[in-house]
Amino acid sequence: MDSALIPNGVRRCAFGKFLLGLAIVGAVLLWGVYAMLLCWFKGLNQTNMNDNYGFALWIWADLAVIALGGGAFFSGFLKYLVGKDELKHIINYAVLIGFICYSSALLILAIDVGQPLRSWFIFWHANVHSMLTEVAFCLSCYFGVLTIEFIPLILENRQINKVSFFHHLAHNMHEIMAVFAATGAFLSFFHQGSLGGVAGVLFGRPFAYREGLFIWPWTFFLFTWSAAAYGPCFTLLITKITESITGKKLVKDNVVELLAKISGWMMGTYIVAKIIDTIYWASVTAPSKGFQISQFYANNSFYGMWILIAEILFGGVIPALILIMPSGRKNPKARLLAIVLAVIGVCINRWVMVLQTMAIPVMSFDKWALYYPSWQEVATTVLPVAYGTILIMICYRYLPIFPQEAELNPAVD
Amino acid sequence: MKNEQSHETTKKFGMVINLDLCTGCGSCMVACMAENNVPFKPDETDKLKSITWMRVYRLTNGKSFPETDICYLPRPCQHCEGHGGHSPCVSVCPATATDYDSQTGIVSQIYTRCFGCRYCMAACPYHARYFNWFDPVWPDGMEKYLNPNVSPRMRGVVEKCSFCYHRYQAAKDRAYVEGQREIEEGDYQTACTQACPAGAITFGDLNNPEHAVYKLKQDANAFRLLERLGTNPKVYYISSKEWVRRAADNYLPNEKTGK
Amino acid sequence: MKIDRRCFLSLAIGAGAGIALSPLPWKLTDDLAIWTQNWQWTPVPKRGAAKTVNSVCTLCPGGCGISVRKIDDRAVKIEGMETHPVNRGGICTLGLCGLQLLYGPTRVKGPLKRVADRGKGQWMPITWDQAIREVTEKLSAIRKSGRPQSVATMSGASSATLDALLDRFGQAYGTPNTIRFPSVDDAYHLSVSLMSGGKARVAFDFEHAGYVLSFGAGLLDGWGSPVRMFKANALWKQSGVKLVQVEPRLSRTAAKADTWISIVPGSETALALAMAHVIISESLYQAEFVESCSEGMEGFKEFVAAKYTPDIAAKMTGVDAATITMLAREFAKSKRPIAVCGRGQGTIPGSMDMFMATQVLNALVGNLNQPGGVWFVTDQTMQEWPEVEPDAAAKAGLAYPRLDGAKGMVPLKRSLPNQFVQAVASGKDYPIEALLVIESNPLYTLNDTALVKQAFSKIPFIVSFSSFMDDTAAYADMILPNPVYLERMEDVIGASGFPYPTIGLSQPVVKPQCNTRHVGDVLIQLAKGLGDTMARAFAWKDFSACLEASLGDRFKTLKKSVFQVDKSYQPPAPNEIFASERFSFIPRGIQADVAFKPIAAEGDTGGYPLMLMAYDTMRLSNGYIGNPPFLTKILEDTVLKNQDCLIEINPKSAKAAGLDEGDRAEIQTPKGKALVRIHLDDGIMPGIVAIPRGLGHEAYDVYLAGKGINVNSLVGSLSDPISGFEAAWGIRAKLSKA
Repeated sequence: MDSALIPNGVRRCAFGKFLLGLAIVGAVLLWGVYAMLLCWFKGLNQTNMNDNYGFALWIWADLAVIALGGGAFFSGFLKYLVGKDELKHIINYAVLIGFICYSSALLILAIDVGQPLRSWFIFWHANVHSMLTEVAFCLSCYFGVLTIEFIPLILENRQINKVSFFHHLAHNMHEIMAVFAATGAFLSFFHQGSLGGVAGVLFGRPFAYREGLFIWPWTFFLFTWSAAAYGPCFTLLITKITESITGKKLVKDNVVELLAKISGWMMGTYIVAKIIDTIYWASVTAPSKGFQISQFYANNSFYGMWILIAEILFGGVIPALILIMPSGRKNPKARLLAIVLAVIGVCINRWVMVLQTMAIPVMSFDKWALYYPSWQEVATTVLPVAYGTILIMICYRYLPIFPQEAELNPAVD
Repeated sequence: MKNEQSHETTKKFGMVINLDLCTGCGSCMVACMAENNVPFKPDETDKLKSITWMRVYRLTNGKSFPETDICYLPRPCQHCEGHGGHSPCVSVCPATATDYDSQTGIVSQIYTRCFGCRYCMAACPYHARYFNWFDPVWPDGMEKYLNPNVSPRMRGVVEKCSFCYHRYQAAKDRAYVEGQREIEEGDYQTACTQACPAGAITFGDLNNPEHAVYKLKQDANAFRLLERLGTNPKVYYISSKEWVRRAADNYLPNEKTGK
Repeated sequence: MKIDRRCFLSLAIGAGAGIALSPLPWKLTDDLAIWTQNWQWTPVPKRGAAKTVNSVCTLCPGGCGISVRKIDDRAVKIEGMETHPVNRGGICTLGLCGLQLLYGPTRVKGPLKRVADRGKGQWMPITWDQAIREVTEKLSAIRKSGRPQSVATMSGASSATLDALLDRFGQAYGTPNTIRFPSVDDAYHLSVSLMSGGKARVAFDFEHAGYVLSFGAGLLDGWGSPVRMFKANALWKQSGVKLVQVEPRLSRTAAKADTWISIVPGSETALALAMAHVIISESLYQAEFVESCSEGMEGFKEFVAAKYTPDIAAKMTGVDAATITMLAREFAKSKRPIAVCGRGQGTIPGSMDMFMATQVLNALVGNLNQPGGVWFVTDQTMQEWPEVEPDAAAKAGLAYPRLDGAKGMVPLKRSLPNQFVQAVASGKDYPIEALLVIESNPLYTLNDTALVKQAFSKIPFIVSFSSFMDDTAAYADMILPNPVYLERMEDVIGASGFPYPTIGLSQPVVKPQCNTRHVGDVLIQLAKGLGDTMARAFAWKDFSACLEASLGDRFKTLKKSVFQVDKSYQPPAPNEIFASERFSFIPRGIQADVAFKPIAAEGDTGGYPLMLMAYDTMRLSNGYIGNPPFLTKILEDTVLKNQDCLIEINPKSAKAAGLDEGDRAEIQTPKGKALVRIHLDDGIMPGIVAIPRGLGHEAYDVYLAGKGINVNSLVGSLSDPISGFEAAWGIRAKLSKA
């Protein structure tokens, strides 16, 4: 029925099956939209956030998707600036995932603020001292860049490409993509970093506070580095999931292994820096404010020492080692394990930097504040996942996202 | 602009709260709510969603009966100066909705500018900032008591203690009309200071040797909350009890209480 | 023109780009932001001309001066009156909330008549004419049928003139059953009569005291005139005056005290007597005063020597003998020491043994009517009104005994609401056919609420004059709403515990917000409607004329000045007040054993291992005035969580009962049971559990109704054998996990 739109040389499932899939994910999306509307019309009392927990699930989701979306800028950086040409086989997908992650982040932010209709004040009345201002500017600009990177992909649809204007537009945009990739890498460096700075500059919160370089706390650099390290893992993970759902091999192993290797080395260097940072913070920064590190992991079982171990050892050291070792990254199972651990690891890191920071009392007579999200928060956090899934479904079906797909899956009939 | 300002005397309004005198009755909290049009809900028992610019904390020495001791600690916004006016909250606000006034030392909050990102709340270790999770609702007829000098806040913005800044403005206006050049100590007092039945709160210009706070802040038993974080707050406390002074900050087990 | 796809696409993109580049989206974005800054449902207070009106607060017997800030005709803030001698600019939590009472949703907007079953909350608005006509007809019918004694009034009014008017109403109508609600002030007053033969309000010159020993008086929890007490405490702290608090719970007073003596509740008298023993046996007492102004010292000395040595008292009180001795020496050796009692805020008078033991201590150190001591104050009096001439019907009615059994208590005007309720419930003597309730909420404030309800259910006609839909008003047959204190004029004589005679005139600050009439006006109208001697006894035009008649020349000056205080007042010298009758260490005609016998709590220790005590806090108004929203807002979440009341218990006791913080539990006493939640607190003696007064209302509004439990419903009523006053201070209880 929609065969005219499907790229040449590849096969897609029946249109009915596709629609059914869309309907199922669409239902989840609608649930999220309903929760989103509740939050907009009734206000943030729909959430379980409170005055101690001003930042919660959403801000974590935001930080996490942006870190995971880091695959886009870093792959672009590697392909266009470093010259790793093999990556052109996965760059489309990296861009798409990045686009989804960043648009999701913006959507979540639009729900998260108390006065969404005034959220543009962040640009209009910008405070240059605020990390959030830096985030907002870089995030918006980078989202623009991602959109520009995403457009030629859309234009490559079989029918659109028939229009000569669009055909040439797409061609010309590809020609200058290196410029955008460079811009994107530059912008990402700052906004990933400033997201790290968001928590790191809180000198009233000894758990999050870090000293640093010039105006930036160490978390600034750690966040950029970790996004570059862990983002590609997420690209690989989503590729792997797409492959298993479609039942097709979509990207050649050498591409995957290259990206995994780079990611592994990045992760390895990052985790060394992170360990040094943690030791310095635990032995110098925190005690200078009167805190023992054990105080940060006390009082309740949820924020126990396990979370630090899970983040650094299982979410950092182990996946990095697996991916650095050729035997590890060449073994599909070990590689998958490493990728999954890495994605969890970076998510824990962002969780800790947001939620544990809020949970720990600073005044000695204050109490730990634990929180669990309301269904509205969960639904609105799931909303981007559903939206992303739908976008991937549509793009995969109608756009030539995986250049190697036709070669890897020759048509039988 | 800068030159013009430097001719004026820079004020640094602050408070000294004597915890030995405070009985924890809560008058400061109610006076503040009545003065500043703070709303209320049928259920205010979730203290993490209850707007109280001034909140009285109850500290205990952690000992068991009958060695137990308690101390009440009123906590308004600390109006941190940080270093050069970079208080924890002011420096993070992305929309310049909160500001450190270098002429008065007061940390302001512009409700109509704030778009509710709550970053300032995350930054404040004193929990002095409150978010309007709900639309403020006054039962029919009760809006009559609202103070026209303070605008009620809409849902979705952050609010906090302003040191009754509107009273400062009124005092300046009065001084101008009366031909005074400077406002005097008694001209500008916050609602909580005025109401405190125990006289535990003293308010004034910390820079002015003629104001009571100037001397009181130098009391041997004076301290501030979380001084070691570098927030540089303008609310001082006095307590004759060592355990209370120690509770004001965090100390490693082997560290001694100190300034 | 044929529009093909290409053309359509171009047009669409062109239009989109055109709109995006036009000012429209920017204007819209800006307008939306402006709209969010001016949401119509967020009120904008009107500006206007500001002015300040002074008045006297009557929300409690404290008698503080208030300054009400007004914008046009709106009252926007209540502040303490700077020049008022009692509160000197300070103001308490409740006083600050006054405007929430004035403008609050719990006001009764106009006269109401019940249409469904009692207490079902279904009312019909009626006119004042109809309301007064119906009440007049009812009262007239009862009087005509020869049973005027079966009409009763229960009043908590703070106005002395209104009080006198109610008495006069009873006199002219012919009922002895005019019931007031006594407090510690009445118990102190009675102790003066019994021990010194005098007639005076007891006050304390705390500002000049050198040492303060409090037997459970919540000096910083709302006792006396609260703001004055806070200021006195500040003075003590700054001048090094020691405050000792004797109480089983670490109340705010205990927390601020220099020494907290935790004591087995109910044994405070034993501690006081043992201290007296030490003072006497070590000859630490003021010999001059004792010799020249007292009597019965020898008998008292023998009594305490036999029964209240520190060792014996240590067993009763849980305070060790050395501490008792130390305390006695410290007290006797201090300059100007004051002993004071009256549990919590002192709204319940309590048993006489405590008051007499306290006065014994004050007498031993000779600190009666001395600077910095306990003063016997004679307040300014009202001008006499013409005598009532009761007719035959009234005389017949007045010949009946009071239902509460209070009699022969001249010079005291004593009434015993607890015993009144018991008599009505049991139906003994004669029935009550109509009850007028003024400025009080007996269905809530009296102990043993179930019994009060039973009594009230037997009264066929209950009229409430309440300004608010309180628990009693909700159970009434008619409500004839009184204006609130900010809308009416009333006299306020004396301030609880304040040593200087004061008189204040509470002023209307705003015009009446509801269709209300002053209860004094209504009484005059009722009397006029009843005719004859009644009308003659109430010849005034209205209550204001009545006030003028009782205040005389002072009326006009008070309207301007709001208050008058006699700061030069000196209490009579000991030899003057005791010239004819000396201070008796053991009240005349009463055995020492009887006089100093403590009241034991109700319930057996076997079935009820714990002791339940009610406590008072500044953050809960527990009398006729229900807690305003701001006060409920500042209640700690360790007292109220959602709708649940938290019961304070020592962790040790809780552990023994298998209970932990936040657990739901059932508390049971001989009088009833209720569901609560557990709050562990190290500041309470093991074996004791405590619940605050002021929660558990069934009426009022969404900001108060249904929150927590009414502790009065769990505590039974115990009458003091000497005074008949309510003396229950607690009750045995048990807790089980729910």
